[in-house]
Amino acid sequence: MRLNIPDRYLDLLPWLFATLLVAGIVHVVSVLLMPTVAPNDALARLASYVKSAAPAEGLVMLPQMAPGAETLPFEDPAFAEAVCVYDLAKGPLRVKTSVDGEDFLGLSFHGNAGRIYHSMTDRSAIKGKIDIVVGDARQIDALTSADEGDAPPPQEVRLTAPTKRGFILIRSLAKRASDQERARGRLSAISCQRFDLPQG
Amino acid sequence: MDLKPYANYLRAASAMIAGVGIGLFATVLSLNAGYGFNSLRAGAWTAWPHIGGADIDPYARAVISRSGEAPLGRDQGLAFIARADSNGAPLSADCEYRIIDPLPAARFWTIALASPDGRLLANPTERYGYSSVDVLRNEGGAFEIDVAREARPGNWLSPGESKGFVVMLRLYDTPLDIESAPDPNSFPKIVKLGCA
Repeated sequence: MRLNIPDRYLDLLPWLFATLLVAGIVHVVSVLLMPTVAPNDALARLASYVKSAAPAEGLVMLPQMAPGAETLPFEDPAFAEAVCVYDLAKGPLRVKTSVDGEDFLGLSFHGNAGRIYHSMTDRSAIKGKIDIVVGDARQIDALTSADEGDAPPPQEVRLTAPTKRGFILIRSLAKRASDQERARGRLSAISCQRFDLPQG
Repeated sequence: MDLKPYANYLRAASAMIAGVGIGLFATVLSLNAGYGFNSLRAGAWTAWPHIGGADIDPYARAVISRSGEAPLGRDQGLAFIARADSNGAPLSADCEYRIIDPLPAARFWTIALASPDGRLLANPTERYGYSSVDVLRNEGGAFEIDVAREARPGNWLSPGESKGFVVMLRLYDTPLDIESAPDPNSFPKIVKLGCA
């Protein structure tokens, strides 16, 4: 049996393939580009809130969540939150606090373009302390080479951030609605400070 | 005017335009479908554990950078979302539901309502969710949470005047294995009680 397809449809077949090829390329490129071109991602939202809240750096408390006043979508309303927006071009930073082992505290380290490069809770605190240094590869290298010598090994956890700009989101659970104040108090005890690399 | 000599150019141009259109359409469709691959399903609940780690896939990165959310880190816990009840019918604020335990093991959990795009729902009680600590339990430790516009005794969440909503179940410091399918019977049921 011979297929009875008019020639002009067969002529269009290569164009159909070309259309699908273009569609495939456009689809892949647009998905890959989205994180870099999306104007309102979490980093942009937090950076603009921090700017409006005045302090130039350090830890900034996010307002208590309420309908129409959420800084980020899909956050848990049972939490009080604070953010430390950073730019490592100005230097590495240190996040430090002590934990009581009772109340949930979560720290997540976000690069730009939606990637979490580290996350932890108060459970992974060492001897009741959280002490984390965030730097780019060069800064962490400089710290490591400064260690060599007789000094005791460092107590801090060192993280290499994949991108210069990013943020650290800290979530403190208020187990009951009446615990909001305490949860915010735990956040304000956390420091997030830029520091200078040791000379040499 | 005789277009015949230009026929191939016209075809090429329409292939380009159609290709760009179809490609962008496919992007919009795929970004609205969830957070990419590797979802974890248990009954009505779905989570995407990989969005909380460095091995997040490009689709999920596109989705979260467009929505502007900061997902829960992999080592902090898991966020499950339910857009439908346990029978698979989409959640509607015109209906009333009951969320019935059990819950998977976790140090803390919270159950909260949100709009489909992740905002809190304005309602007169100003309560948006319950946690494992403040939920009211019966003598055996079991609990139920009613979702309804009208006030209910016991645990009650109101979707307010919104049309649609989703239920978020967040497990903090959970030992749940994300590499294998969880047992749906260890997750809460969402049972429809009736519709207005």
